[in-house]
Amino acid sequence: MAKEQAFFALADFLIPAHGEMPKFSDVCTYADVEKSLDFRIDLKEGFARAIATDASTGVEAHLEKINKQDGEAFSAITTVVIATYYMNPRVRALIGYPGQENVQYDSKATQIYLTNGSLGHVVARGRKYRPTPGL
Amino acid sequence: MTVEILAQRNARPGRDEEVDVVIVGAGPSGSVAALHLARAGISVVVLEQGEWPDYDDYTGARPEHELVSTKLWHPNPNVRDNPNDYPVDTSTTDINPLMFAGVGGSATLYGAQWMHFLPSDFRVRSMDGVAEDWPFTYEDLLPYQLEIEREVGVSGLSGDPAFPPRGAYPFPALPIGSVGLRGALGMEKMGWHWWPGSNAIPSEKFGELNPCVRRGTCLTGCPEGAKSTTDRSHWPLALKAGARLITRARVKEVETNDQGLATGVVYIDANGRERRQRAKVVILCANGVGTPRLLLMSGGSSNPDGLANSSGMVGKRLMMHPFASVLASYEDPLDSWRGPFGQQVYSLEFYETDESRGFVRGSKWNCMPSGGPVGVSGAIGSKVYVAEEGRFQDFWGANLHENVARRFGHSLIWGIVGEDLPEESNQVVLSKDLVDSDGLPAPQIVYKVNENSNRLLQFNIDRCLESVRAAGAIETLVSTPVRESGWHLIGTTVMGDDPKRSVVDQWGACHDVPNLYVMDASTFPTSGATNPTATIMAVALRNTQRMIAERRNQKVA
Repeated sequence: MAKEQAFFALADFLIPAHGEMPKFSDVCTYADVEKSLDFRIDLKEGFARAIATDASTGVEAHLEKINKQDGEAFSAITTVVIATYYMNPRVRALIGYPGQENVQYDSKATQIYLTNGSLGHVVARGRKYRPTPGL
Repeated sequence: MTVEILAQRNARPGRDEEVDVVIVGAGPSGSVAALHLARAGISVVVLEQGEWPDYDDYTGARPEHELVSTKLWHPNPNVRDNPNDYPVDTSTTDINPLMFAGVGGSATLYGAQWMHFLPSDFRVRSMDGVAEDWPFTYEDLLPYQLEIEREVGVSGLSGDPAFPPRGAYPFPALPIGSVGLRGALGMEKMGWHWWPGSNAIPSEKFGELNPCVRRGTCLTGCPEGAKSTTDRSHWPLALKAGARLITRARVKEVETNDQGLATGVVYIDANGRERRQRAKVVILCANGVGTPRLLLMSGGSSNPDGLANSSGMVGKRLMMHPFASVLASYEDPLDSWRGPFGQQVYSLEFYETDESRGFVRGSKWNCMPSGGPVGVSGAIGSKVYVAEEGRFQDFWGANLHENVARRFGHSLIWGIVGEDLPEESNQVVLSKDLVDSDGLPAPQIVYKVNENSNRLLQFNIDRCLESVRAAGAIETLVSTPVRESGWHLIGTTVMGDDPKRSVVDQWGACHDVPNLYVMDASTFPTSGATNPTATIMAVALRNTQRMIAERRNQKVA
């Protein structure tokens, strides 16, 4: 439990509540974090170091310290925090992100740049390339 | 019949079987050569150190995409740390080389931007007084370019005044989306060239390729099977034609006889066993790093500087296209997570030399979406906009929320590809202490971005900022040169007519070893400034058709 508390203190400093956006611990559980780490087992060691270090000096000072002294640990915890947060369905809904979605379209539809004159201007400006016959 | 069944049926050759051709590498060039040789009735074996792609491993459609892809599908083999890759010593380079080992090659992780080189790219010495002319011209190569486009399934719009007239693309251009329209608006405000993107992504069903659904994850593997890679475009046909493909086969040496002719290759199989594949002809298609590495590892005691290296040029003249990016955010929503990711529009406004700019040659710009919230945050995942001396607090806390709100869904990226001039000091050598998982020496990259490139990039960044601001950008972020940008590995076994100054002739045959060929971008005398895959495949097709036509005159061991 102490480990989880230490983690959430760091996570909520990195991602606090702001405007209508919730802080990390309002939307993500520690189980979510463990799931992220299962996707990225390469981050587990660094993550463990980041949350094991004595944070009695304060959360910001602790993050400053590992950022300077243990870049791998800092990268691990920040990667897990930000990815877990933006995988959360509520967070995605708030920022209007449906994920990398499937978008249907008509491949034969006339594109607007062909009818509004914008591409016509490019053509009208004439040839851009330098011909090379004879060289 | 599925590709897997065909692959099993076309089993490994017998221990002493000599085939007509062995090809090293199943990427774009090796796949083209294999298909056309097999169709001509020539026996072909291809050795690929990676494996067949498993499309279920592509995470683009899943929530964890941004978390997983930054490791599993990172284009830098040192980050990916996959045993099928070889590591690269990058301690002496400004730019990291990017690549992927597997059927389909590095195109597995490319953006599928499909561009021909321009006429002047083949005549840089004649026109601009730098580097060397190619042994053939734009016009010589164009028929092969068009044939490859039909094999690959390219979508695009013809009529671009930046190119000589050409026929229609096989498929209509993909939608350029809000991102492309905004990018085009800036160019239009400046009176500059732009054109809808041409991409190796069919907009309609084509063979084994599905129509693009604009998921926007091209750079990390296409889960739809819509991005054209040769595991789908060429290999099903090559296997049906009788080509044999052996995966997880790492070639360690090209063997030669007393007459200096190639007799085959030695490779390490999936079980760690050393095997020999005898062949009348050997073709290297292992990219601009892997091909010189293999030549430098070959040759034995009689060739201490490596095989086919009497010129001393093997590994030298490495070009990687120094790259800059400009991220621009706008008030309006641009749905900027939607694809295609490669290029929705491009510009060749500054492609040709204008000496008043203070540098020679030029650039190509491509307008791309900016992706998901993690990538645009600037906090992690995409670190390109974070200065080394930056404070972490600038990207976290309330700043994170504000950065994401400003950029996510509201931004585009212009990628600026600069022509890289060849310099012998930029090169691939063998590392003295780094080895791959089979104990073979890793390549070491010795590369500096030169002054011409620095001036070129800065000029183009300044123009790009003018363009995006003209279109209403409220925030801009610049990265130059981007370290993780060595997609285009070019020039390390240069082609030419003079055996003292070049490694291969215009058909890819090594001057020193006439039945040893190179058919990847290693042979390019210059780099152009466009994405090279179209030219790589077209040159491979030209060389292969010549090999087929001249098969009875081929000198063999």
